[in-house]
Amino acid sequence: MSEFLQFVFAGLKSGAIYSLIALGFTVVFAATGAINFAQGEFFMLGGMIGVWLIQLGVPLPAAVVLSVTLTSVIAAVFEILAIRPIADGDPLRIIMVTIGGSIVIRQMALHVFGPDEMPLASFTAGPSFMIAGAAIERQTVWIWGITALTVAALFYLYRRTTMGQAMTATSLQRDAARLVGIDTRWMVTASFALAGALGAVAGLAVAPLTQTAFDVGAGIGVKGFAAAILGGLGNPVAAVGGGLVLGLLESMTAGYLNPLYKDAVALVVLLGVLFVRPQGLFGGSRREKV
Amino acid sequence: MRTGRLRFAILFITAVLVLLLPLVVTDRFLLKVLTYAGLNVLVVIGLAVLFGYGGQVSLGHAAFVGLGAYTCAILTTTYQLPFVVGFAAAGVIAGVGGLLLALPSLRLKGHYLAMATLGFGELATLLFIEAVPLTHGVDGFTGIPLPAFGSLVLRSPAQLYWLVWGVTGVAILVCANMVALRPGRAMRALHGSELGATACGVDLVGVKVRAFVVSAVLAGLSGALYASVIGFISPSVFTLTASVTFLAMAVIGGFNSLAGPASAAVALTLVQYLDALIPGMSREAAQFVQAYEADGYGLLIIIVVLFAPAGLGALFARRSRAEVQG
Repeated sequence: MSEFLQFVFAGLKSGAIYSLIALGFTVVFAATGAINFAQGEFFMLGGMIGVWLIQLGVPLPAAVVLSVTLTSVIAAVFEILAIRPIADGDPLRIIMVTIGGSIVIRQMALHVFGPDEMPLASFTAGPSFMIAGAAIERQTVWIWGITALTVAALFYLYRRTTMGQAMTATSLQRDAARLVGIDTRWMVTASFALAGALGAVAGLAVAPLTQTAFDVGAGIGVKGFAAAILGGLGNPVAAVGGGLVLGLLESMTAGYLNPLYKDAVALVVLLGVLFVRPQGLFGGSRREKV
Repeated sequence: MRTGRLRFAILFITAVLVLLLPLVVTDRFLLKVLTYAGLNVLVVIGLAVLFGYGGQVSLGHAAFVGLGAYTCAILTTTYQLPFVVGFAAAGVIAGVGGLLLALPSLRLKGHYLAMATLGFGELATLLFIEAVPLTHGVDGFTGIPLPAFGSLVLRSPAQLYWLVWGVTGVAILVCANMVALRPGRAMRALHGSELGATACGVDLVGVKVRAFVVSAVLAGLSGALYASVIGFISPSVFTLTASVTFLAMAVIGGFNSLAGPASAAVALTLVQYLDALIPGMSREAAQFVQAYEADGYGLLIIIVVLFAPAGLGALFARRSRAEVQG
């Protein structure tokens, strides 16, 4: 029983991180209709910049704020420079550009921070909490808390602020949104900034547990995307659910089958969902509009 | 009609020049690099067909190259089967892998395939590393026999060059035919308007899946040749970096033609070995090229997609057509 509980905690820990990445995909997909291949690199940047600042002696809270802000700015600048010029908004071209962008971001991180893995201490020191014989590391509690807060903030932004409603309007009907005076181009930029912040938060929260390096982005990107597809791409609530389910599936596979299969789970889930239930676990049946 | 004959003449002359090259080039190393270029061209024209005519992107083609390479290595080394068997099996295995990946991903509109290929690539790397009894793990697979047909073992750089470019030439012909005939028309229609093409009876999914499987087979064959020509393979060769390099070559070369991507593949392969090809090149310059090569690919992809969406090859094509008309 305690073993099972341990796997559940492990699953919900990585699941929370996948949720944040999946939300990043969802936010950009809603605004552009394209998959942002640089999403994993925002995760990497958040962790790397944060660790680098802390090594420079910046206190943790300030390093977190700075790292998230910087990643967000980098994401916005990337959008303005490389996505906005694509006048026809062709998703294939947007995807290609984000692939190019992910390479450039990864290489920049390599040149600036070097090729080595960078460790980070837990946000708070101390022994793990014990619940019914299963251990929860303190950093895991941080991850859950940060994820919950971020998701709450995101929903507040979308539901309660003018900015969020303008972003929603843009994703629903771009032309109509423009007609009522919304600057839709800036909404796309805002969605990238938001995706950058989501990725950075995830990258920072998990860095004490896994270390971080310039090349962690692609792998986490695939998993976050699988989580988004599992939930149903384009739906924020489903993205969170998909992330948690994927995390649980992974930890159960690693725990009860073979740890080597853990990384295969995301791809199997991705292909399986596309084959069987393309709208995702939590998506209603929806038809492609002509 | 005249341009058709002109194109045929250009193609014919290029083919003859490529075949005669080993008689002129005496530098063994340059010949080897040109052989590697042929291996890359084989992968890249598959990607170009997929991209230009199927409208799809793959970030996992190095995995198909690896799948082919390991298939051929295991069959010819561990089981001591003839090269031809290993070569054919490499194509089949890569093709089946491509089919399994493409069928679910391509049933839907959107670009799920790209992400699926990225995941597939990560997984394949893991497989190459962990399936030690089959692949020998991170240490790599050594002692793969040279390609041989019966008692004829291809040893000299020139022979290997001819083998690789022979296969690549046939693949280019097959792809050119595919592109020019009915499947290619269907693919082009698809690229123009998926809805319109479907209305005309084009089997949308079928065409895309076919393009992907063809590209996977070509990558697998390239892998088989790579393993046999070089004699050593390891998981570090078939990573995301390699996949991105292939994709960059295809995108920079541009679609709507095979000549563009093929030329880009040759040119960028030569850049990779720049330090060895230019004797006077300083160490620092060589290291700089090595460190910033990937940056260049990333930036070039962005620049090409933004400013020359049909690829650099199309810029030349447009100019030469203008010259012919003028």
